[in-house]
Amino acid sequence: MVAPQGLGYLGQALSAAEQYAAVYGAALRPGTDRVICSPGHYVVAAYAAAAETGLIDEALLASYGQDGSSLAAIGTEHSPVPDYTCGSLGQGLSAAAGFALADRLRGRPGGRTFAFLSDGELQEGQVWEAAMFAGHYRLGRLTVLLDANNSQVDGPVDGITTIEPVAAKWQAFGWDTAELDGHDAAGIAAALAAAAAATRPAVLICRTSTRHGLDCLPPDADGHFIKLPPGLADAAVAELTARLDRHAR
Amino acid sequence: MPGDHGATGPSAPVLPAPYRTVLKPYGRALADLARGRPDIVCLSGDLTRQCEIDLFQAEFPDRFIHAGMAEANMIGVAGALARSGLIPFVHTFGVFATRRPLDQIVNAVAYPRLPVRIVGFMPGVSSPGGPSHQAIEDVALMRALPGMTVLDVADVTETAQAVAAIADLPGPVYLRLKRGEIPVIFPADHPFSLTRAQLLGDEQADGTGAALVASGMMVAPALAAASALRDSGVRVTVLNVPVIKPLDTATVLAAAAGAQVVITIENHSVIGGLGSAVAEALAEAGLGRPLRRIGLADTFADGALTAPYLFARYGLTTQQVIDAAWTALSRPGQPPRAPSPDLQPGDYAPV
Repeated sequence: MVAPQGLGYLGQALSAAEQYAAVYGAALRPGTDRVICSPGHYVVAAYAAAAETGLIDEALLASYGQDGSSLAAIGTEHSPVPDYTCGSLGQGLSAAAGFALADRLRGRPGGRTFAFLSDGELQEGQVWEAAMFAGHYRLGRLTVLLDANNSQVDGPVDGITTIEPVAAKWQAFGWDTAELDGHDAAGIAAALAAAAAATRPAVLICRTSTRHGLDCLPPDADGHFIKLPPGLADAAVAELTARLDRHAR
Repeated sequence: MPGDHGATGPSAPVLPAPYRTVLKPYGRALADLARGRPDIVCLSGDLTRQCEIDLFQAEFPDRFIHAGMAEANMIGVAGALARSGLIPFVHTFGVFATRRPLDQIVNAVAYPRLPVRIVGFMPGVSSPGGPSHQAIEDVALMRALPGMTVLDVADVTETAQAVAAIADLPGPVYLRLKRGEIPVIFPADHPFSLTRAQLLGDEQADGTGAALVASGMMVAPALAAASALRDSGVRVTVLNVPVIKPLDTATVLAAAAGAQVVITIENHSVIGGLGSAVAEALAEAGLGRPLRRIGLADTFADGALTAPYLFARYGLTTQQVIDAAWTALSRPGQPPRAPSPDLQPGDYAPV
């Protein structure tokens, strides 16, 4: 999706791929559960996961980010997959809380709401308004996957504001927390299963890197918006193909 | 279109001033609506009694949601509730309902065109709380959002009719409401409409005089000013515009065409609200009429204990409406004086 344009939100996909794989592959029940992709730039990962699990036509992926495509680089009302339009950061958790509350109000106790958030978004005050709201209402059917990749536009998150201790902050707002290797899809899937039984909202703090899984990326690649010229794109495809072949053997 | 003054829009009778007042007409109307509608839910931003929804909370506690002082989150939650098939009515003061969560209203409500009803109390300078509490550009902000319906209603009758009318309107609504004692200006069979403005009373346009175009709290002073001006021989029509967006352009143009001058009157900045909407309609139609916009003249309004002081200081009194019309019409001599009605406790009269 990113290679045809030579640039895009590849770092987000690299840091969150396993989180999306775990939700779409192991937890999500389409039509029953809801998905919110709060940092709308990450929607590239949601498109990929949805194509892999048959929710959208894989051929659509080639149109990602192109003029007139429904697969906008930052999701719109006309884009498939997530249940809410995000992109203006820090707003998705309120929507997720609203969906979880709506399920309760409408007598649908079985529905789960999965909200993907990113660590840079924790700078937005609305995230904490929503965290307080969800904690107060004990929205146990709400699970957050927090992509802690320590990356934002201006550089590493911890060089811009101190957001740690992240887990203690969520705990103080009444949430269950778990710290995870964000590149361990099986571990994330297990944590999602455990969170299903929670009586309080849960946040899975997934420690990740925007360069994970692509050794060919230059060390100075900008994690927020990675440039992928044709040579590098070819190298990336070759690296990923070789890895898939190894797994297939 | 000189001479084209036969066109008149729908007209509506008004009760005689002074008007009796009623408490909590909105709260009752919302509870009435909710009684037959389990999809109506109510959110409060820590201003439950002030927004009259203590009535809803008492009757429907399971559908009442405290969001606390967190307007951004409240709007986001409401967007998701609406997307799930519920009809959320969101309540706080107008200033907090629009200024604080503007980006959230854009992304969570307006862009997806969800049926969220944002109800903002205490419009314009009706608050003694100073600029921090005065919604003076809420109409402008909401009017600028694609698909947003914007209402500024004048009395008890319109309030109840508006609540019923917006219940099933597709898309978002901003409803601007006076807080506290609400006058009864219109009879119970008032022809409220989401698509039509109304000429008030039976004054017929004849191509002379002034057309007063008002909404919300300024309808009462417009009626009082019209009465005084008519006593001095000035032909005046009063157009009530409870729905500022989408504007009933045809009725506005008909009223303007039937007069020499147009005076808009709003408890709001003159930039971006009713006056701007009317100016846009006149200009786009090529209908040349001198236009005076009465409202806050691009200023914040401070220094207040009471609303009458603020209304006078910032040019929103009945007398100032009279003076504006008199001057715009180049009438000789002194303009008539605004009436000072003999008020009984509980009566309402415009400032």
